[in-house]
Amino acid sequence: MPRIELKHITKKFGKFVAVDDLNMVIEDRSFVTLLGPSGCGKTTTLRMIAGLETPTEGIITINDKVVFSSEDGIDVPPDKRDVGFLFQNYALWPHMTVYKNIAFGLENLKWSKEAIKTRVEELLAMLKISEFAGRYPSELSGGQQQRVAIARTLATGPKVLFMDEPLSNLDAKLRMEMRSELKRLHRETDSTFVYVTHDQLEAMTLSSMVCLMKNGYMQQYAPPLEVYRKPANTFTADFVGSPNINLVDGVVDQEKPIVLKLTNTVRLVFQPKTNIAVRQGQAIVLGLRPEHIAVTQMKADAEAEVLSSLPSGMETIIALSMDDIRLHSVVFGDIDFEVGKSVGLSFGHGVFNLFDKESGKNVGQGTLFRA
Amino acid sequence: MSAKSKLNQIKAFFKKPHNIILVVLLVVLGYLTLVPLLTIILDTVTVHSSEARFVKKPVGSLTLYHWTKMFASGITSQKTFYEPFVNTMVVAFLSCVLAIIIGGFFAWTVTRTNIRAKAFISTVFVFPYIMPAWTLAMAWLNFFRNSRIGGAPGLFTVFTGLETPNWFAYGLFPIVVVQGLHYAPFAYILIGGILRNMDANLEEAAMLLHANRMQIMMKVTLPIVRPALLSTFLLVFSSTMSAFAVPAFLGSPVRYQVLTTQMYRTLNGMNPGYGYIMALVMIVIGVGILMLNQWITGRRKSYTTITGKSSNISLFNLRKARTPLTVILITILMMIAILPLVSFAIESFIMAPGDYSFSNFTSEFWIGKGRADIANSEPGILRNPSIWLGLTNSLKLSIIISLIAGTVGMLSGYAIAKRRGSKLSTWVNNLTFFPYLMPSMAFGAIFLSMFAVRRGLIPAMYGSFWLLVIVGAVKYLPFASRSGINAMLQLSGEIEEAGTIMGVGWFKRMTRIIFPIQKTTFISGYLLPFISCMRELSLFILLVSPSTRILTTLLFQYNEKGWNQYANAINLMIVVIVVGFNLLINKLTGASIDKGIGNN
Repeated sequence: MPRIELKHITKKFGKFVAVDDLNMVIEDRSFVTLLGPSGCGKTTTLRMIAGLETPTEGIITINDKVVFSSEDGIDVPPDKRDVGFLFQNYALWPHMTVYKNIAFGLENLKWSKEAIKTRVEELLAMLKISEFAGRYPSELSGGQQQRVAIARTLATGPKVLFMDEPLSNLDAKLRMEMRSELKRLHRETDSTFVYVTHDQLEAMTLSSMVCLMKNGYMQQYAPPLEVYRKPANTFTADFVGSPNINLVDGVVDQEKPIVLKLTNTVRLVFQPKTNIAVRQGQAIVLGLRPEHIAVTQMKADAEAEVLSSLPSGMETIIALSMDDIRLHSVVFGDIDFEVGKSVGLSFGHGVFNLFDKESGKNVGQGTLFRA
Repeated sequence: MSAKSKLNQIKAFFKKPHNIILVVLLVVLGYLTLVPLLTIILDTVTVHSSEARFVKKPVGSLTLYHWTKMFASGITSQKTFYEPFVNTMVVAFLSCVLAIIIGGFFAWTVTRTNIRAKAFISTVFVFPYIMPAWTLAMAWLNFFRNSRIGGAPGLFTVFTGLETPNWFAYGLFPIVVVQGLHYAPFAYILIGGILRNMDANLEEAAMLLHANRMQIMMKVTLPIVRPALLSTFLLVFSSTMSAFAVPAFLGSPVRYQVLTTQMYRTLNGMNPGYGYIMALVMIVIGVGILMLNQWITGRRKSYTTITGKSSNISLFNLRKARTPLTVILITILMMIAILPLVSFAIESFIMAPGDYSFSNFTSEFWIGKGRADIANSEPGILRNPSIWLGLTNSLKLSIIISLIAGTVGMLSGYAIAKRRGSKLSTWVNNLTFFPYLMPSMAFGAIFLSMFAVRRGLIPAMYGSFWLLVIVGAVKYLPFASRSGINAMLQLSGEIEEAGTIMGVGWFKRMTRIIFPIQKTTFISGYLLPFISCMRELSLFILLVSPSTRILTTLLFQYNEKGWNQYANAINLMIVVIVVGFNLLINKLTGASIDKGIGNN
């Protein structure tokens, strides 16, 4: 079954390097998102796998069949790769009805009229748009157009489905709805999904694997929760999670046990889960997820002042100042905090990530307590 | 990178249809536009057979004779170059200003006021541009010619008894008026497009800040459209500069020479070298104008571009002036679009020119068998085999050229837009636009000298119909490729890719997806070359042979011979065909010429 493999894929546009030496394996029936800020090469990567863009160098195999190789001059055209592509702007043909849009690809494969009719009706029903069959795309709302585009892409039954920010043009409510719809389709169609997005929430909630990219380089390729729990570097740590992780600069004050000095008054012992190597005086960045900063009155690891409090019912996001270091904390429950009040902070729960300041790389995980 | 992967890259490059199109265009257009340019340059420093006597050097040898004669030989240079050059600039500048004032006023009135009969005004206002350029010139002569130059006086003199002065009937004044009116629709289309696409919020924001109409106009609207206005000015300027027919009709009776008429004389006469220098000068000015235009639009792009919909801008209320102004505009339109046609009809039925009494009317020039005492027994145009030949040739030529130019233009637009930003695409883009800058007559002359003899695989084509086809197709390619690029830029690449990924072949993608979606713009790309070709004179005038003559060259011949009635009748025929065809296509497909040139 379709397992996609990219080996040393590089894409240059003139002098600009869009994707640099990318290696990744997309397992059969997985739901992989390519995540990153705009211009990071994620769309280019997707288009190269689909065959819409030609890599400058490298090898791509789909289902162990080489579909692209710069060395051997192999470049299988997109339609021979048995893939479907869902475009950002849907790319519905405005001069064809919904029915015709879906049927066009099948007609092209010389299906019989009855077979096409059966298949199109099946898809219309599956996406709950049967009543729009006779309409033109311009007569549909954004969400309906999106469904038509999905139906059109699924029509030929591709084993791999590529999606390029398909939900970015929808409003918040529809986006929620389409997300669960996509998860359902992934299960029902039994195929591999590769999905491009810049929305970390979308990547977190939908996918089985996240590939985080920046400036053409792959930063981390792991299941979403692993990216969340154990980010490979400060970039991925910062990109995933809302509200953002707190990245606090500090230095290693002492090697055994490891003591981190964050401010003149805040010094914390970092108890690593595995053996890690740090040296005294090394500049580090400590990653503190907002939900791992507890606000307490007693047994505090540090003191801070409340700068703002944003209660939303289920949770409250508070901005804090700890010796002029800005921190965000999430407190669950419908509590409000008084601005300007002094509170104690506790880092007793959760696992924290330590990064090297210079390289940004993850040094190791551990727990914290007051030195 | 290894040699093998380099080779593979080349193979991959040529697998893409748009790359093949670009490379083929680069080669073919390079040959058909750059080689002519080099030939022109070479011709300015070569001794031509007709000149061997004065130059005193063997034919074909190099000489600076033409350059010194043209630029540094006192009174000769004054008469052959400097005077026509100054005339050209004056004519081009003034007609341009006039065109922009008239076109701009109509555009503003139609888009920004509550004038009546908007649809009618915009349809009819484009007529003078669709009609051959000399239509208005002939009409001017029909009305205002005087007897001092010789020949019968025009309608105006006959009805009022006043003899028109020479300055009014011939030379600078009528040329400027006629060219100004001819190009006013061009300015109207461009400026109207800008006004229509300008974000009305900008004006409304000023209104909310208590600016009055005048302030809004002067402080907001004009500054915003100024770069586009300037660019319109430059485009019209380069067209008026290379116009031939109008100065030929209105200037020659009083020896008012411009570069193009001078070029016709020299290319057709003893000194082709002079003509090629003039052609070169015009090409250089044209390229300069184009670069200036690109600089202006490029630099100011940030705020001239289309931003919003101005669907619900509050229109300027003309109040009491509404009906009178509508009447005035329609009267003007009648005078410039309809009245000329009436005058052609009348003139073509007049036996003795200048006598408009009823007894003088005759159908001789339309259906007569030909009389020994008039025009060497030339039969009336409806039973005249040479007119029928010209008509068939004109139609055949225009249709073939429009099919070639339209299709190539569409493909080039497709390929250029697909590879936008790449060097190859930029080169081809400039190459497809270059013929626009070549003065038609010089272009014709060059093709004549290039293909009069066998060149490699291409047989000698002098007097051949296909020579006309090639010249026309290349010359009108810019119109079609502009529409092609416009059409493609409006279309997101994903639309085509959605077909690619389903295995829809390239040809089917073009015919079933891309063409149907942008049908009207593409058809406009076919329409413009057709219309331009039907009314083209200067491009073909040096190239036709008796068997390939077309309506426009026939008209010019009849006019030179002074057979006024035939000329008027032919002109009426051309106008009816062109306007009728335009309206027909417009009705059937929604395509129109303003879609083709509308958004440059």
